[in-house]
Amino acid sequence: MTDEIDLSRLPPPEPYDQARDKAQRKRLMDAWREPPGWKIISAVNNSHIGKWYLLTSFAFFTFAGILALMMRAQLAVPGNDLLSQQLYNQLFTLHGTAMMFLFAVPIFEAVAILILPEILGARDLPFPRLSAFGFWCFVIGGIFVSGSIFFGVAPDGGWFMYTPLSSDPAYSGLGTDIWLLGLSFIEVSSIAAAVELIVGVLKSRPPGMRLNLMPLYCWYVLVVAGMILFAFPPLIAGDLLLEMERAFGWAFFDPDRGGDPLLWQHLFWIFGHPEVYIIFLPSIALIATMLPTFAGRPMVGHSWIVLSAVGVAFLSFGLWVHHMFTTGLPEISLSFFSAASEAVAVPTGIQIFCFIATMLVSKVRPSVPMLFAGGALAIFVFGGLTGVMVALVPFDWQAHDSYFVVAHLHYTLIGGMLFPLFAGIYYWYPFVTQKTFNARAGRWSFWLMFGGFNVAFLPMHWTGIMGMPRRVWTYDLSDGWAVLNMVSTIGAFIFAAGFAVLALNVLWPRGKAPLVERNLWNAGTMEWAAEVPDKPWGVRSIPYIHTRYPLWEQDGLIGEIDRGEWFLPDAEEGKRELIVTDILDARPLFVQRVGGPSFLTLGSAFCLGAVFILATFHLWTITLIFGAGFVGFTLWWLWTGTSLIPERPEKYAGRGLTLPTYAQGNRSPGWWAVFITMTGDMTAFMGLVFSYFFYWTALPDFLPSAAHLPGFGWLLLGLALLIGAWAMTTASRETLGHGRRRLSMALLIGALPVGALGIGAWGWSAYAKGLDPTVQSFDAMVWMLILWMGLHLLLNWVMHLYVAARVKFGHCTPEYRADLMNLTLFSHFLALTAVTIFALLALFPLMMGVGP
Amino acid sequence: MRHGSDEQPRHFTAPGDAPRVIDQGSVWILVAAPSIWAAHFLLSYWLAAIWCAKSGPMASLVEPRWIIVALGLISAALITWLGWIAVRRYGGVFVIFEEITESSERGRDRFIGHVALLLCVLSVVAIGFTVIPGLVFATC
Amino acid sequence: MTGQLLRRGILLIGPALLAGCEGRHNWLASAGAEAQRVEDLFWVLLIGAVLIWCLVIGAAVYAHRRQVDPSLETQARRFILWGGAVFPTVVVGALLVWGLVILRDITADEGDLTVRVDGERWWWRVIYETPEGEVVTANEIRLPVDRTAFFRLTADDVIHSFWVPALGGKMDMIPGRETTLALTPVATGNWGGLCAEYCGGAHALMRFDTIVMEQEAFDAWLTAQAAPAEVAEGDPGLEIFQAEGCGACHTIRGTEAQGPVGPDLTHLASREKLGAGLYDITPETMARWITNTHAMKPDIDMPPYPDLQGDRLDRLVAFLMSLD
Repeated sequence: MTDEIDLSRLPPPEPYDQARDKAQRKRLMDAWREPPGWKIISAVNNSHIGKWYLLTSFAFFTFAGILALMMRAQLAVPGNDLLSQQLYNQLFTLHGTAMMFLFAVPIFEAVAILILPEILGARDLPFPRLSAFGFWCFVIGGIFVSGSIFFGVAPDGGWFMYTPLSSDPAYSGLGTDIWLLGLSFIEVSSIAAAVELIVGVLKSRPPGMRLNLMPLYCWYVLVVAGMILFAFPPLIAGDLLLEMERAFGWAFFDPDRGGDPLLWQHLFWIFGHPEVYIIFLPSIALIATMLPTFAGRPMVGHSWIVLSAVGVAFLSFGLWVHHMFTTGLPEISLSFFSAASEAVAVPTGIQIFCFIATMLVSKVRPSVPMLFAGGALAIFVFGGLTGVMVALVPFDWQAHDSYFVVAHLHYTLIGGMLFPLFAGIYYWYPFVTQKTFNARAGRWSFWLMFGGFNVAFLPMHWTGIMGMPRRVWTYDLSDGWAVLNMVSTIGAFIFAAGFAVLALNVLWPRGKAPLVERNLWNAGTMEWAAEVPDKPWGVRSIPYIHTRYPLWEQDGLIGEIDRGEWFLPDAEEGKRELIVTDILDARPLFVQRVGGPSFLTLGSAFCLGAVFILATFHLWTITLIFGAGFVGFTLWWLWTGTSLIPERPEKYAGRGLTLPTYAQGNRSPGWWAVFITMTGDMTAFMGLVFSYFFYWTALPDFLPSAAHLPGFGWLLLGLALLIGAWAMTTASRETLGHGRRRLSMALLIGALPVGALGIGAWGWSAYAKGLDPTVQSFDAMVWMLILWMGLHLLLNWVMHLYVAARVKFGHCTPEYRADLMNLTLFSHFLALTAVTIFALLALFPLMMGVGP
Repeated sequence: MRHGSDEQPRHFTAPGDAPRVIDQGSVWILVAAPSIWAAHFLLSYWLAAIWCAKSGPMASLVEPRWIIVALGLISAALITWLGWIAVRRYGGVFVIFEEITESSERGRDRFIGHVALLLCVLSVVAIGFTVIPGLVFATC
Repeated sequence: MTGQLLRRGILLIGPALLAGCEGRHNWLASAGAEAQRVEDLFWVLLIGAVLIWCLVIGAAVYAHRRQVDPSLETQARRFILWGGAVFPTVVVGALLVWGLVILRDITADEGDLTVRVDGERWWWRVIYETPEGEVVTANEIRLPVDRTAFFRLTADDVIHSFWVPALGGKMDMIPGRETTLALTPVATGNWGGLCAEYCGGAHALMRFDTIVMEQEAFDAWLTAQAAPAEVAEGDPGLEIFQAEGCGACHTIRGTEAQGPVGPDLTHLASREKLGAGLYDITPETMARWITNTHAMKPDIDMPPYPDLQGDRLDRLVAFLMSLD
């Protein structure tokens, strides 16, 4: 690149001036200071949100753990009547649900929000208010779902919620609605975090941190956030179908009305299996980050680990049917998934062997984090080996839904996720609190948990072989499972004691203890460059990075950062500023201003939470009021906090670098966020498309006769109008670019009625033919697709009006029109959705010979 | 002045060119080989599922078997071609025992080439695994 | 069978494992041909897994204790290639082929006899298809030894899963679909059967007995089951049965009781267990079942009859106990 700035040949820094340093530090402090007192809840900075996220996740972990202990107490002896059948069924459902949705996934986001910006030498993530919004959604949804147990209405259909047990109101009550709506809400916050983290890794890297220099942790975060984007949406689609059947009787899973219970299993496990790796990879990432520190050398096989992370991410999407081996699918279908399940062992093995190879050529310092990492390896390898066993179909026919699988999954999750996480907790404890933990208590907690875990779960393999099925609240002495269960229960309580020691060690107030020295583990990654005591701004100045382990390989870097010799050492305008760089080589692109503390995100999250909770109880009027509140708060937040026109078009960032202060199109993080969110949205839509074809494959007479198909002419007309609306949106972007503001606004507002007529034509095409979603699965599917389009159009209208108002009030101008560009991008995806729906409803039946 | 979609505010010229994702030296090659695996996997699965659903239990799987194998060969050939690009990018030699820590575009390019090559190998192995069931089962 | 040899070898190792090889739900009981194929696979997998675990963890411990010369980094990278990539590929590839071949072998599309089992909340409707017609029973399956039984599995309400661990793998029962399973018992005895898919409420209490018999005994049993109940004209127990409305749900062939909802009671007393594989059938358990149903099996659809006491209860129980 000829026009590239050569970052290695920047002018030297200005000589150090103590007065200037002090003034700069004061201005930075003013910009980044968090609100005092109770107003701290409006904080959005990653160090606060991350810490809260972490503690909340661990609170849910403790809650779910107590549920597990109750179950173990019930199973300790045969014929026990400590707990009722009803309560036990709620306990295991909530245990699985809370561990998966309220602990395992959020904890990844919590840790990433906490340490990712620091590892990237960034001051914050690109959308701090979005992180805060996601966090509050998680808190509200989590409390809603967990709290149900205290009212005796907790979900009791298993964490997998198989239909028809969950879809038929005769078999399942309010608990299922709580599960569905509560979790959909939490999934929204997970996807928000995923968008944030992807953009963070791609666009917020420090100048110079090219892809080949990016720390392994960032690779894992990128991969996992990408997986969330493709794994969670199908479940949201599934939730939508299931809730429509429960609330309005639409026929999706009822075999008597052309539905199929197996569809739910597909949608659930397309989410559910990648989910396991979404949990596992970020924890392995923690080991990959701390192992080089204790080995005192770079990781051996850096690119092999990247291969393994990317490889696992892909393969994990080809495993979902291995949860459905016993559903009677053709053997050949099962076998494809068996093959992929075996193949995934290869990249996982590579990952483990990279760790061992690094240890081979170095001398690893013993420490509490490494103790946990070693325990993780011992447990996880065993879990992986039993995984190879259950991936074989004939073996799984015996093991499936027995305690063998309970043992297997806890070996993989506790070994692959929990122990590495604990290692990470001890490793980053000094980073977060700037105090040291008690190492002796740390070792105690390890041995108690390691011993307790194996005592609890190793015998469970044998319990499974003895034929004990999962999810049973009682058994008989004659079954021969009593001794094994008693041993497991004892182990579970020892494990709990170990966790109690860990929790005490972490939460112990250490107010008067001395602060730790800076970078006490002598690590090579950027987060340890943080000052002690820490400052809210993260890094004093944003450095140029040209190595994989900057603190080892860039001499004097910490001093240069502290003296403010690198980029953005000041906050002259009193704004929170980050540097946005490009994806491949991290060349600085522009200075991004991010939002500070705000109650708007809180209000927005609260209203959205209320919408989901009230919808559970079918209180539609208040739901609508809060829905309007949500839209109001969100628009207010966007209006005052995003795409603000800067006071001047560029600013001096230090070291001879002048950067723009505004970006639009595919340079701006906002554009990428829309792009990534809409990719997730399209994945959810693909879940619906999959459902359509699934019915067509599974049911011989899914497609009705021509007389009962939605009218072709109306569908075509609707498509033409929808595409017309899209064209008007696109045209408004161009006309605004040419400075014709009025025409642009007219096009934006004019697109509304055109789109409305389009969706109206589609609705009429189905209505006129008498399609009734409560009668047949085909009818329900048609209405679902039209409803999907309609909901998106509704959102699109709000955005149109918003952007038109931005143009009117001069916040969106011919020069600065990021809002309009993002809206256009959204509309492109909408047009694609419209074309696909048309193909499904009009062209596919024609192709199959049932059309007009 | 042209007003394309990526046009920036016109008061200044930003350093560097537009973000590159698809052009030279980019990352598309990282996901290309595993995507071919995914496509082969899904096609094989759909083919078998639809075949068995539409022709009933105990239908012969001989025709789908050869389609699966042929798809596997085509996919493997495509991946080999990708691997060749990756090796070229990586430096033209099939050496896989080094770290690429050079801070330059060339270094980044070589690194991506190396990871892409490894992913090509993994994808071919995974495609091989997918073909095995096609060979074992003769009926639905 | 290599599996059996291996098993005997391992039996000597520890009493814990020895204890594990008893039990009527045990996969490793060698009671079914299909279970034996999985058992062979299991022992090889177990020994292989233990070996590989020792090797990997041994390597990690070695790496931790002793530092290899850092100049040998290339060797360390070879170690990743061969140990982390090539070795697993070969091992799991071989296992995959073996697993698929076993899968192909243990599935079948027909058997020596066909049994339809329908999963209900939370019991089993069992229908034998014989040349003379259907023989309906419930919650107990009897099979002739060394014959392949072909099960056609359905469900009426929610998903259940049919599992006799000692005989072979499980298969789900899914509303709107029919799944199939072939089991070939090779040892006589009473083997446990379970519902393996969580089906709500009393899932834990959805059991059945699987009694494997010699062919002659089985034939005699099936003939007896096919016959209607032998009920004396004007049996006072039957009158109470009808007066209390039991016949609205239960069928006793040969009487007016033709309810299709609950289990068929024509030969109730010939079964080993009451309440879907739960309690031995005795007059005491029967009386308690009628009067205090939900204490014995919570949440089930059958209502309790607490007002039925004294003489009337005794007569009803005596009548039910006579249905053999």
